Amino acid sequence: MGLQNAVLNGFKKSLVFGLVGVTVTDRYAGVCSIRGSSMSPTFNPSPGSFADDYVFLEKFCLDKYKFSHGDVVVFSNPINYKERCVKRIVAMEGDYISDTKGAMKVPEGHCWVEGDNSAFSSDSRIYGPVPLGLIRGRVTHVIWPLERIKKVDRRIPQDRLAF
Amino acid sequence: MRGASFIWTVCKSSFTFGLIGLTVSDRVASVVHVRGLSMSPTFNPPNNTSFGLFTDDHVLVEKRCLMDYKFSHGDVVVFCSPRNYKEKQIKRITGLPGDWINVPFSYDAVKIPEGHCWVEGDNPTDSLDSRSFGPIPLGLIRGRVTHILWPPQRVQKIDKKLPRSGLTF
Repeated sequence: MGLQNAVLNGFKKSLVFGLVGVTVTDRYAGVCSIRGSSMSPTFNPSPGSFADDYVFLEKFCLDKYKFSHGDVVVFSNPINYKERCVKRIVAMEGDYISDTKGAMKVPEGHCWVEGDNSAFSSDSRIYGPVPLGLIRGRVTHVIWPLERIKKVDRRIPQDRLAF
Repeated sequence: MRGASFIWTVCKSSFTFGLIGLTVSDRVASVVHVRGLSMSPTFNPPNNTSFGLFTDDHVLVEKRCLMDYKFSHGDVVVFCSPRNYKEKQIKRITGLPGDWINVPFSYDAVKIPEGHCWVEGDNPTDSLDSRSFGPIPLGLIRGRVTHILWPPQRVQKIDKKLPRSGLTF
């Protein structure tokens, strides 16, 4: 009887911890790995290494959707909903972005994202402005590898906005 | 001491049930209140008296479809509005990636890009949908409506109704 009780207790406790973990990662914060070099040198600065960066992302921003220029966000790829992309917000709704065809206005409810490594990044220059509803979280810190632990700054590139 | 441990047990149980409820509503299914007439007569059919919250339809939205995003023509879905990310809208999917959609009142046809879908309300005169904001990325979808749960006389399963017009080929 004692063993059965202990096993049941252990099962109940792990269920509760599992639920807490699932709820927290869904709604508040999570960790994810970065693949590819579209955000070099901010993430994965050395393309040949085996260790991908792991970052901490927070989901509190999803409540109010208060994003700003320079935030690095994780969002569902508009072309392939199964994939997630990590890029930096360069322009918000209402801004004008300079394009190859001139200046383009970012529509209401959307944002313009670009990777820090423009040469190797498939971003809004290819698939257009991204609806804010696709964003899944904001990256705040790099947490792996250990020698690169640091806060991710909001770097605002000045040369992309048309005016 | 007995009172304190009783309160503690109640707290723990309500915390656990709250967590379970939150997880279920996030990942399995939840109930949503339908506002507006853009999906008449499927939801909120016109009637003489309206008491707002009490006579508006409440529907069951299932979220298992978000695991593999396998939607079909005629599914009624809840999605974040592309114009205003704080709002959620309910419309029917009338086009999937690769389909060609007739643009109303013109001779153009739009091909739905990869990863996007075309949504329209069942009540075309009173519906702000893809005819205004274009195809929406499938990633904006937050769930699929399966049943009406309220009011009790309208409890029914939602059918996949295919549109009468719109698909050209």
